[in-house]
Amino acid sequence: MSKEFMPKIISFLCKWCTYSGADLAGTNRMKYPPSILPLRVMCSSRVNPVFLIKSFLHGADGVLIGGCHPGDCHYQSGNYYTRRRFAILTTIFDSLGLESERLKLSWISAAEGTKFVRVSTEFNEKIKSMGENPAKKKIFL
Amino acid sequence: MDKVLKIDISAEKGVVELLKYLLQNDRVSGVFTLRKTGSDGSFDYALITEPGLLEDAIPLHPFMHVNAGKILSALPSMRKPVAAVIKPCELRSFVELVKRSQGALDDFLLISYTCGGSFPYKTTVKGQTDKLLPEFWKAVKSGLDSDSIRPTCRACEYFVPMNADITISLIGEKDLDSKCSIFLHSGKSESMVEGFKAEISKGELDLSRFDSLVKKRKEQKEKDFKELNIQDSGLDGMIDIFGKCIGCHGCSRICPICHCILCDFESCAYDYDTSMIENELLGRGGVRVPTDTILYQIGRLSHMSFSCTGCGLCTEVCPADIPVSTIFRKTGEKVAGLFDYVPGKDVDEEIPVTIFKEEELSELGND
Amino acid sequence: MKKSYTKGAKISNSKGSRKTILNFLKGLLKKGSLDAVLIPMRVPAGDSYAWVLIKDKKLLDDANPIAPIMPVQGANALSSCTKKGKGNLKIAALMRPCEIRAAIELSKLNQVNLESVTLISYDCPGALPMSDYLQDPGEGEKVFDSLLKKRDRDVESVKPVCGICDNFSILPASDLHFGLSADSRDNILLIPNSKKGTGLLNKMDIKPSEDISSWAKNIEELKKVQEKKRKERFEYVKDMVEGFDSLVKTFSACVGCHNCESVCPVCYCRQCYFESETAKPDIESILLKTKNRGSISLPADRIMFHVGRMVHMSLSCVSCGLCTDACPVSIPVAELFSYVGDRTQQTFEYRSGEEKGEPIPMKTYRKEETKGINELVKGAEG
Repeated sequence: MSKEFMPKIISFLCKWCTYSGADLAGTNRMKYPPSILPLRVMCSSRVNPVFLIKSFLHGADGVLIGGCHPGDCHYQSGNYYTRRRFAILTTIFDSLGLESERLKLSWISAAEGTKFVRVSTEFNEKIKSMGENPAKKKIFL
Repeated sequence: MDKVLKIDISAEKGVVELLKYLLQNDRVSGVFTLRKTGSDGSFDYALITEPGLLEDAIPLHPFMHVNAGKILSALPSMRKPVAAVIKPCELRSFVELVKRSQGALDDFLLISYTCGGSFPYKTTVKGQTDKLLPEFWKAVKSGLDSDSIRPTCRACEYFVPMNADITISLIGEKDLDSKCSIFLHSGKSESMVEGFKAEISKGELDLSRFDSLVKKRKEQKEKDFKELNIQDSGLDGMIDIFGKCIGCHGCSRICPICHCILCDFESCAYDYDTSMIENELLGRGGVRVPTDTILYQIGRLSHMSFSCTGCGLCTEVCPADIPVSTIFRKTGEKVAGLFDYVPGKDVDEEIPVTIFKEEELSELGND
Repeated sequence: MKKSYTKGAKISNSKGSRKTILNFLKGLLKKGSLDAVLIPMRVPAGDSYAWVLIKDKKLLDDANPIAPIMPVQGANALSSCTKKGKGNLKIAALMRPCEIRAAIELSKLNQVNLESVTLISYDCPGALPMSDYLQDPGEGEKVFDSLLKKRDRDVESVKPVCGICDNFSILPASDLHFGLSADSRDNILLIPNSKKGTGLLNKMDIKPSEDISSWAKNIEELKKVQEKKRKERFEYVKDMVEGFDSLVKTFSACVGCHNCESVCPVCYCRQCYFESETAKPDIESILLKTKNRGSISLPADRIMFHVGRMVHMSLSCVSCGLCTDACPVSIPVAELFSYVGDRTQQTFEYRSGEEKGEPIPMKTYRKEETKGINELVKGAEG
């Protein structure tokens, strides 16, 4: 019997918002998928687009960036830069025919534990329906 | 209204005369141009300060071995500006570098021309350059594409210089061998050439006559993009195209936009611990080494594609014959399009990754 | 003194040398004597080869132990997976002799760790120029297959440096060697050349009991022919580099992409000196040069780069020819560097990549050496 596909979703979460949101979800005993592998960053703009490319090519089934809502950045404007970089990267992925759907950006505040659960669950389901990242088995990357 | 200078000598001679005038009258510290270095057809870019040496200058030679924008950015400021004769794509590249604090427009009197394209590297290797010149100039005079120019040039719609102080009109000028038209676009250029003997009048470069060539070039570009067909084949397509990459990073080294002294992808962040390679082996059964062939390409796209000026040198320099330039231009246009950005157009416009607008891209991140 | 091995084992070549080598490696993986093999593999598009570290036996079926081209130096591939130190896996690297020599040089420079690596070499027929192969990979495969079947070295279709290579067979540094130029095409000689190599043969129950002298004699003869060719060719190359004018002419087409340096296995510096901030021309040097000469070529210091690189690495040059393959304007970089390298190495009676652990000449000295140079200095003083 084949085991159910459990994706690996690398999640870069801003310390000031989404990471705390995830914490809130935890303290409220809300469940989110174990496929979410959280990495705390000081700001979503700390996430170099190359981190996403690398995660993708090294076989992550999904990559999630969680940041503060526009206007709420702890450092004033970090998330606006993140948004541009994310738009650039997904455009590159699209024009190369790579699955940009495996990359996700979401604004989740520290108070939105429920939203974190919903977003991560939905993203997990979407990745599940997409199946394994084909990059996982490629040799010539 | 711009001014136009008309001289009754051939275009190339006219430019050289102008350069000589600028240098002899101490209007500029030096002249940056292509020049012959031997009777065997060899040439290079040079900074010339001795007017007599301008005899060897070939400012309009259809060849680009290095992107002059990159060279200008490495030149320190001189006492007075340097007059630089460069191709439109080189000029656009320089503007992109200026935006990145890698040079200053004020250090130069930028002279460019309506560019008929340049020859591939292979023509110098085979020593054919001189033989191809008559056909090239014939095509330029009649406003058509020469057969011998690089495919990248044939798909370039930006052959009219942007941001030049002075433009030499070449394309479609039937009397190139006997007449030279020089357009002055700025107060800077007007004061520089003051006193130069020529018939001066008011006039502007008539852009409408390039419409059909622009259209043709755009069509060719779309055709090239379509033939590349990279978006339909996904990861496997990427591996097919970049599988033969030998990792020399010549493309980034020759790229005028890639100005970093040490490329991120050559930094120690990409030296993996032996255990990490062994881990990869467990998952895949086999790992290509050196690693990160595809990562380098996508990564470089994310770093500079929006500023790609389509100069095509990456394709030229690639020892594995990968159509790097077409891929980067195609992707670059899409990315730059997100922000209505045209690389090298406006020196005051900041590069897309260093600025943002609050109201843009509002569809992203909302769930 | 290194123990020299004089015995080998004959194995049947009925399936062709590539298959024979692969089966041997597969056997080692199966027995667990090896954990992974570093070997060239054709890329999915079929138009080139890449180095792949293989753990899964099944993948070995698609590998090609003797690739017709050398797009990436094996030593670079080995460096990228062992540079940070010895791993837990026992690796065998099947490489051309020049790649092994480069790996030895890199191990002296701490860029390759050979502790858990077994180096396997073979009688190399040379490699095709990459540009020729890329134009028609199918034809390239055919040409190379016919080269592999020949006993003599064919110099027509291989890279120019391969045509004058005189170090194409077993090396002191090889742990194991496949003698492809054995007496008859029916057999391949498997020659252990170190304890590691003997150990692997023992694991496979192969007894190296055959005398290898006739194979060795054949190789010696071929080497003599090659040495002669090398000498003759260098007479011609000499004219391309000797004297300032010829040097300038030879490199006149150089576009300064530094591809030659970045593919060079011995140029391991993360940042080449000639690309550093220090090497950029400053205002004083530009003013001085333009004052003296009226002009300055840009990018500046093109000749400086090539001659400087000769100073930096010619002592370790292994004549692999990658620099020529990578040059977009077809300058015969490899032959020039081989020529200069041979001479600088002779000055110190050094041969790059020969002995593991031997210090590179720049890192050592002897009281009595460089006699010719000493005399030159004396002559100048007197």
